[in-house]
Amino acid sequence: MSPLKWQKELGRDGYRVNFSGQPVAMHCHHYNINLQKTLERTLGEQGVRLLYRSAEEAIYKDFKSILGQYESIKTEKSKFEMAALMFQNSGMGVIRQQEMGPDGGVFVSPSNHHVTGWLAKHGRRDTPGCHFVRGWLAGIMEAIYDRPMGYYAVEERQCKMMKRSECVFVVKVRNNGD
Amino acid sequence: MAIDGNKIIHAVMEGGRIRDSKGIIPLFGVYLSIFSVNYYNKLSYEFEKMLGNRKWEAEALLVDAAQECGYATFQGVRNSWEWEEIVKPMIDRKEDQIEGFSAVAFAFGWGNLRVKELIPGEMLTIQAAGSYEASGYMDQYQKSRSGKCYMLRGVTGAMMDLLYGEDYPDGCFTFSAEEHLCRAKGDEYCEFIARRPSD
Repeated sequence: MSPLKWQKELGRDGYRVNFSGQPVAMHCHHYNINLQKTLERTLGEQGVRLLYRSAEEAIYKDFKSILGQYESIKTEKSKFEMAALMFQNSGMGVIRQQEMGPDGGVFVSPSNHHVTGWLAKHGRRDTPGCHFVRGWLAGIMEAIYDRPMGYYAVEERQCKMMKRSECVFVVKVRNNGD
Repeated sequence: MAIDGNKIIHAVMEGGRIRDSKGIIPLFGVYLSIFSVNYYNKLSYEFEKMLGNRKWEAEALLVDAAQECGYATFQGVRNSWEWEEIVKPMIDRKEDQIEGFSAVAFAFGWGNLRVKELIPGEMLTIQAAGSYEASGYMDQYQKSRSGKCYMLRGVTGAMMDLLYGEDYPDGCFTFSAEEHLCRAKGDEYCEFIARRPSD
């Protein structure tokens, strides 16, 4: 079981909200989904990449810092359990590993914030839409395996926004030029 | 009765810790998430950069996205059981709702919002200390020549839309806000003024 003390880590410093000392903000599905829709509609694939990279970069830095504070967590499995606990306690949803190693892995999300928010606001879509979760997974994997940002590429093979039963993500080492 | 922001903060911080089995936080009538402010700032300012000489378009889209969000969010907030239980007993008049919305924004970590002036139906001036948008811009980029708090600007317009626009959901964008003071420009605090666009 992860030793992450969620209740202790989420705190306030005046008007700032912090998690493990990192500045965070609370936002609802209206804002998160509006941002996604604005970027997809305006920039197309470039907007999708921006959503992915922004999530990857933010969680990579934050999770590296958290791992530094919890040095007793050593195995890859327990590091991922801590990440999944953070994901859940941040209201981002549930994520589980099916396979995981330094060369990649397969992850499943039976429920997540972006799916719930997208379906509530816009209903079913025709393409996978969990760009935030893809970027989040890339950043987490890079932090866990101590790889540079951009090392992994994450593809969403199934998405609940397309009314599939769960979201399925495949993580691979990125080839140059991908 | 003045709005006691501490009660709202307590509700958000405690309620924010209640997770159902799906990892979703239903609070104040919306699904809440908690994530790094660096994510939101990177999205906004990189988007602006990517649009290059259409920067004004990025600014307008980000403000609109926030205003529509603020409109739906605070409508959800004021219809939630948490508002009914915690905030409504502190509200004496319609205008007090804006104090309630500001307290929720503070609790969400958006900054310390204060109502400087409210002319019912006409104009609202909000002062914000510690906007994470201004802080993030200053950390990442050079000093700005224009206001950078697009989310709070949209939210200021949304507060007026909810109070003085048509009944929900037809009143969004009745008001429009400008940010004429911003810490990212070197001002001491950020300040937003919402008015009807035709004014």
